[in-house]
Amino acid sequence: MKKNKIAGKIIRIILLIIFLIFALFPLYWIVLTSLKPTYELYTFPIKYWTINPTFYGYKKLFEFVNFKQYFSNSIFVSFLASFISTIFAMLSGYVLSRKEFKGRYAVILFLFFSQMIPSYLIMVPQYVMFSNFHLINKLISIVIVYSGFGAAFSTIMAKGFFDRIPKSIEEAALIDGCNEIQSLFKITIPLMLPGLSAILSFSFVNNWNELFTAVMFLNTSNKYTVPVGLYSIVSKAGIQWNVLAAGIVVALLPTIIVFAAAQKYIIAGLTQGSLKD
Amino acid sequence: MKHNRFILFMLLPTLLLISFIILYPTISGVLLSFKNYSVFNFGNIKWIGMENFKEIFGDIFYMDVVWNTIKWIFFSVIFQLLFGFILALLMKEPFKGRGLYAGLVFYPWAISGFAIGLIWSWLLNGQFGVINDILIKLGFIKEGFNFLSDPTLAMFSVILVNVWYGIPFFAIMILAALQSIPNSLYEAAEIDGAGYFTKLFKITIPYIKPTLINTILLRVIWVMNFPDIIYGMTRGGPAGSTEILSVKMINTVFYESNYSKAAAHGVIIVLILLIYTIMYLKLTSKKEFSL
Repeated sequence: MKKNKIAGKIIRIILLIIFLIFALFPLYWIVLTSLKPTYELYTFPIKYWTINPTFYGYKKLFEFVNFKQYFSNSIFVSFLASFISTIFAMLSGYVLSRKEFKGRYAVILFLFFSQMIPSYLIMVPQYVMFSNFHLINKLISIVIVYSGFGAAFSTIMAKGFFDRIPKSIEEAALIDGCNEIQSLFKITIPLMLPGLSAILSFSFVNNWNELFTAVMFLNTSNKYTVPVGLYSIVSKAGIQWNVLAAGIVVALLPTIIVFAAAQKYIIAGLTQGSLKD
Repeated sequence: MKHNRFILFMLLPTLLLISFIILYPTISGVLLSFKNYSVFNFGNIKWIGMENFKEIFGDIFYMDVVWNTIKWIFFSVIFQLLFGFILALLMKEPFKGRGLYAGLVFYPWAISGFAIGLIWSWLLNGQFGVINDILIKLGFIKEGFNFLSDPTLAMFSVILVNVWYGIPFFAIMILAALQSIPNSLYEAAEIDGAGYFTKLFKITIPYIKPTLINTILLRVIWVMNFPDIIYGMTRGGPAGSTEILSVKMINTVFYESNYSKAAAHGVIIVLILLIYTIMYLKLTSKKEFSL
């Protein structure tokens, strides 16, 4: 009996390590590639480590491909869109969590189904629509699109977070003479801050990673976002893998930071917010 | 009355934005699919009825694309579920550093699909790829595979990568469900002398069944609609061997610039998903689906 337990424990540890290696090895490899000098990229035997790390790939990336511009475009688009959608989600998530009203269920269904429609399916009609407003090749157009997609998902997440804050706290504030809006801003929203930061981070990661709408909407290089920049690098013939790897690493950095900071809350929001009524 | 105004004031911005960004384009996409809107006829856009659909279904390779899509979904979701489940079971009992471990092992899920495709296309590169090198060093193979240029291996490769990407999502959802199982159930079973697998099949799986059902429903939809990884790896090639419906649609936009035909592809995908969702919910009984 005891022997079995120890064997089970060892198997468990081994499997956990295998999963970890499987998850991290590709990332290790791309970071390593980004630091390898060009002559080490295509040689045998393949090197699992480099003794001559160089920032050549990164230098090339910022010199030739205008990656700095893409990066600041992406920061602008991702932050603004996540901010807008989080504020919208905060308002509507609160009402959906706290109020009983006619059509409440219909609103939830509407949100649920609109988040199931993936962005690329409707990017063509969106493109036609935005070109009628002369908004093509403007960053603000993808900010609007991302805000809309973000609002659908974030509202459902926000509702889940609000559901976990006891109603009694607000009721106490109302008795103490706060009105509803005061109690929302003074009591509930401060309690919601971890939830809101999770929602914000989650949309940020989504917006940062979006490719197809951005490729469609943005057509001059100074407007590219990071994924569009990567896409355009790949389309160019003869790209060196250390330069491309450097591009991928730079593209990953913000999501690493955001995910590391908010991971716990993002996961809580995903598992408890998205599907429960 | 004041109450209702408050609700309206809070909800309206979101509902208007979503109607504008998602609902209206969805409707307009359906209309677009019956027109001839493409780069070549911007001056002469008109209603052409079912022409786009006829053209799509008349394509002799269309069934290959459908078949690819089915393979892509089936194998991706099965293995994401299996490995996600195993990972969740391994992580159920607390251990030192579990938070950090979760952050690291769940991380692939936060990377862009396109970047994942690029990373893995380098790992699986036929000449300089490290995966071949590792397989040869371990003695599994003598010569490297052409993972992405061989049509039969290419589908296997993109599915492998999609599994890698999707394990964390399943693990996250299942782990949350596992932690809601009351310990008393296991204790009672242990008193009755139940072993690990009895407990797994008699307690764990029945208990988390609603989560499994919801997660699989969502995953199938997302996997069907996930051209990003394939786009980063093969763009549907070689010779169309990894072209799934969503990739076909994107290619119709980017290479043919035929926006109406692309919209028609989109309409077909949405219809398939609708039928799938309805059938799935009927088969798994609505009671267990909590929205």
